[in-house]
Amino acid sequence: MSADGAIPAATALSLEVMLACDREGRITWLGDRSRALLGDVVGRDLAALAVPGTEDKARALLRAAGASPADGWELSLIARGAPSTWTFRGAPHESGCVLVGIPVPGAYERALRQAAEATSEIVTLHRDAEKTNAELRALTTELGESNRGLVSLHAELDDKNAVLRRNYDVKTRVIANVSHEFRTPINSILGLTQLLLDRLDGELNGEQEKQLRFIRTSASALSELVNDLLDLSRLESGKEQLRASAFAVEDLLSSLRGMMRPLVTNDAVELVIEAAPGLAPLDTDQGKVAQVLRNLLSNALRFTENGEVRLRATPAGEGRIAFSVHDTGVGISPDDQERIFDEFVQIDSELQRKTAGTGLGLALSRRLASLLGGSLTVESELGRGSTFTLTIPTVHEEVAEMMSIERKADRLDPTRAPVLVIEDDRQTMFLYERYLSTSGFQVIPARTVDDARKALLRVQPAAVVLDVMLEGEATWQFLTELKESPKTRDIPLMVVTVMDRAQQRARALGADEFWLKPIDGERLIRKVGELCKRVRGGKVLVIDDDEAARYLVRRLLDGTGFEVLDTADGVEGVRLAREAAPQVILLDFVLRGETAFDVLDELRSDPRTRSIPVIIQTSKQLDPGERERLARETTAILAKDSLSREVAITRIREALLAAGVGPATSGGKNG
Amino acid sequence: MSALATRFLDAQLAGDRREALRLALEEGLARGAKPEDIHMFVVGASQREIGRLWQENRITVAEEHQATAISQVVLAHVFPHFARSPRLGRSVLVACVEGELHDMAARIASDILDAAGFDVRFLGASVPTDELLKMLRAKPVDALALSVTMTFHLSMVRQAVAAVRAACGPGLPILVGGEAVVATPPLSPDDRVFISRGSARDLVRTLRFAVGLSEVSGEEEVMT
Repeated sequence: MSADGAIPAATALSLEVMLACDREGRITWLGDRSRALLGDVVGRDLAALAVPGTEDKARALLRAAGASPADGWELSLIARGAPSTWTFRGAPHESGCVLVGIPVPGAYERALRQAAEATSEIVTLHRDAEKTNAELRALTTELGESNRGLVSLHAELDDKNAVLRRNYDVKTRVIANVSHEFRTPINSILGLTQLLLDRLDGELNGEQEKQLRFIRTSASALSELVNDLLDLSRLESGKEQLRASAFAVEDLLSSLRGMMRPLVTNDAVELVIEAAPGLAPLDTDQGKVAQVLRNLLSNALRFTENGEVRLRATPAGEGRIAFSVHDTGVGISPDDQERIFDEFVQIDSELQRKTAGTGLGLALSRRLASLLGGSLTVESELGRGSTFTLTIPTVHEEVAEMMSIERKADRLDPTRAPVLVIEDDRQTMFLYERYLSTSGFQVIPARTVDDARKALLRVQPAAVVLDVMLEGEATWQFLTELKESPKTRDIPLMVVTVMDRAQQRARALGADEFWLKPIDGERLIRKVGELCKRVRGGKVLVIDDDEAARYLVRRLLDGTGFEVLDTADGVEGVRLAREAAPQVILLDFVLRGETAFDVLDELRSDPRTRSIPVIIQTSKQLDPGERERLARETTAILAKDSLSREVAITRIREALLAAGVGPATSGGKNG
Repeated sequence: MSALATRFLDAQLAGDRREALRLALEEGLARGAKPEDIHMFVVGASQREIGRLWQENRITVAEEHQATAISQVVLAHVFPHFARSPRLGRSVLVACVEGELHDMAARIASDILDAAGFDVRFLGASVPTDELLKMLRAKPVDALALSVTMTFHLSMVRQAVAAVRAACGPGLPILVGGEAVVATPPLSPDDRVFISRGSARDLVRTLRFAVGLSEVSGEEEVMT
């Protein structure tokens, strides 16, 4: 290619612009290439070609280049309908200037713009994030404040609560004390009045006798009021305890008949007390049932001038019994039917004014009914009479629950570790039962020290929980016994009571743990679990030359968490006992070439193995001497022969339990 | 320009982001300057100066972009230092008119209005009028703020105001601000169009007045 041909070809590629302007900034000349880029713009203002908004800069460039050479002016012009940027150099020419523009690469320009837009966008996002952040901070502050508010509100409520409780306690105590202080003088008045009425100090005239009878009636009423008040305050303070016993309905009713008969002073009123046939015996607080019924009967008699007062005992379904007291008296208007159960409410009536009453009887009765687990309701029609109905469970819930715990404890559950609990308060016993039974333990309840001694003959518990403050029980003595007897001294013992000062004594006597009531369930489970760990999940050593017998034990303890070690040989067995320290040893009476006594002697001569309980299994008919010695030195003797496998399993299991090897608790959350 | 703004501009032109930030935070905020004053009289002033320098060919487009990027960073650092007023429950949409690529003034105004308690929606540079109407219809606001930097775009402001009036009725207050309105004759005969030409305080006062939160307007003039 010739040089001449190359010039136009190269020019065609060029993006440079060359132009000249006059002093007014009008374009007077354009290079060929510039014409191709900008169009035929000769005669137009350069500024008019500038991208809108940059006209001033175009004019500034014209001024600058018209005065002296200028360089590096960036200017955007509209080329082929789109803005492009050139960097211009210029110099004065004639009265105007010439300008040469080198294109600024479009890619750079676009990249810069992109970067600027991206920055702007990121900045917008940053502001949003900042705002959210500020809102969250404000929210946190607000939450913190309301939290502090709540905390102080709680504290305030606690204070108020404490004040209320104190007031309530004071009120209850005052009532109890005052009532008690009242009783002594009232009894003096009653006694002395009676003395006078009995004429032990001489004859009385008619007026004197009349006055004395009034005094006696008033004093009796006062005495009744004080007694009711005392009962009520005991009930309110929750100190009233259930004294349950088993009794027949008929016995209760006949004693009521005897008690109420003297109160029937009006011949026009008949008192009937009857029971439906075939009523189940009751197991609840007889005294409290009788108190409610007495109350209802005396009320009925008081407000009935004609007709009858009838007490009927009938079954009320689902293990409940209803005692209804019906009268043909004045009746109670619907408006008053709930009010009469409030304290000191008496319905104003002529009869009411004539009869004495404390206004506490029904309030007291309703509380007693609820203590008995039942209800007291009334149905009445003014002028026709009233029926009060006491409905209670035949077996009090506490009694029923206690019975079920005791029944459960009769059968040892091999999957649970037995815990002997000595506690006389049923409610507390329920708590133990609830907490411990859900956590892989079996509660063996004992309400007295005697019960506990009996239970210990039957079972070796994994732990003992003892309330040392049982009413009328020699619990300290029992604690000493437990910790002195070799058979029981290793059982972990937890003393629970209400008095902190008992702690030192309990510890001195060997208690492993000391706790103040009330019981915290979680902690109890953890603690008993810890105590029991010492004896649970251990090893059982079987020394038996009969392979089948070893297999049997192994199967028996499958899945209980116990590791079974076994050997056919006595010497090997003793070695294993020393090394592995099993929790219990099952020993066959007759081994090849030696007897259980040889093994026992070996075990007893070594302090490491001396205290391991040994259960003898034997198919030999033992002579009395052997039997006696084995009974002294071992935990149990099981006869192998003539037993079915099932019986054998049961026996071994019982023996293990009795030896304190409660199989590992399974399924208990803390077990 | 204040001495601080001058030093700030030097740092921007030298491409020294750290120094620019140090000046704003340590020489500015830490010595008691208010965040809105840093926004307005340091960053805002230096941005105006950069525009002038480009016009006079003292700096290139590349340098302008570099300086603007530094300004963005500094504004972002200053923003969290604003004392945030309680929310006013009034919203304002901030946008640059169609064709206007300079969004720095709008950004500064947004930050100041946000700190003053307005709920600000910032749309950024060159918002086409159609787009603006769409946004206003989709989520109505209590006020519209239009920013215009280049005088050339003033005609676009007139168009936008007319379009908004046609679409949203005469009630919506419209605030117009930016370098281009500083020395501009009235735009349109509408007493709901407000011009803000002064300080941050003036901006906030004008908008508060426009949305009916205060009786006294700022130093704005109502266009006639």
